[in-house]
Amino acid sequence: MTRHQFLDRLRLGLRGLPPAAVAEIIGDYETHFDDAHAAGRDEASVAAALGDPDRLARELRAEAGLKRWEAERNPSAAANAIFAILGLGAIDVLILLPIVLSIFGTLFGFACAAVVMFAVGAVMMVLGPVIVQGAPIAALILAGLGLVALGTAFGSLTAIGGVVFTSILVWYGRLHVRVLKPALDAQGGMA
Amino acid sequence: MVEAIQVQLKKGVLEMCVLALLSRGDAYGYDIASRLAAGIEMGEGTIYPLMRRLQADGLVETYLVESASGPSRKYYRLTGIGRSRFEAQKTEWTAFSSAVDAIIGGVQ
Repeated sequence: MTRHQFLDRLRLGLRGLPPAAVAEIIGDYETHFDDAHAAGRDEASVAAALGDPDRLARELRAEAGLKRWEAERNPSAAANAIFAILGLGAIDVLILLPIVLSIFGTLFGFACAAVVMFAVGAVMMVLGPVIVQGAPIAALILAGLGLVALGTAFGSLTAIGGVVFTSILVWYGRLHVRVLKPALDAQGGMA
Repeated sequence: MVEAIQVQLKKGVLEMCVLALLSRGDAYGYDIASRLAAGIEMGEGTIYPLMRRLQADGLVETYLVESASGPSRKYYRLTGIGRSRFEAQKTEWTAFSSAVDAIIGGVQ
């Protein structure tokens, strides 16, 4: 592989990262080629010693995804981090996917329940006295208020659950990237 | 199997080796990559993702040095956090490796 091919494949693999970060990374490898050239090494052997550019790009992207999740805990960053880890092949997708899907499904169900509770509570509080004739107004308003509070609490707990679960997944994935994956690659003969 | 263990060991101690290298003096990317590759046979390319992570974690920082020929060069140096992290890892490593030495020495 020539220097040009190596950098092209790396650049291709880094698509989606902020342009400034890509420029910085590419700059690092360009300097590496320059320095190696100055030391009298030829391009092909330098590229071979650097390793697979696709794999390097995946590692760099995963690291960026995990950093983003640590900086901003929102669903988009969580999805980004999880896909980055899955992209690395750090976690056995076939084993983990059913677990991940069922947990996220449960969390999604809880979130829906929270929204419904909140909505029903709000309606009961505002329109209850109008719709249900005869019932004590204070009781309807208090019951509505209770449901709204319950819905909010439920929603918060669901959000906390999601954050905790994603963090565990990220931690687990990182552990595997750093420790297990290189060993597995070596067994597959492509370290 | 022996190969797998070697790669796993190397990957695990790579961070510590980089910190050790920088504790003896600031260095630039190619310098770090080639010195480590010569010593422990690592893929030279893995140094750069590692350096970015160490930088993001605040263990190392970079500065530019003007060079007479060509563009200025990016050097890495340890931060205070990096230095104390290295000292902690070194202590842990020394205790661990002497315990392992005692065991595998005793088996023979």
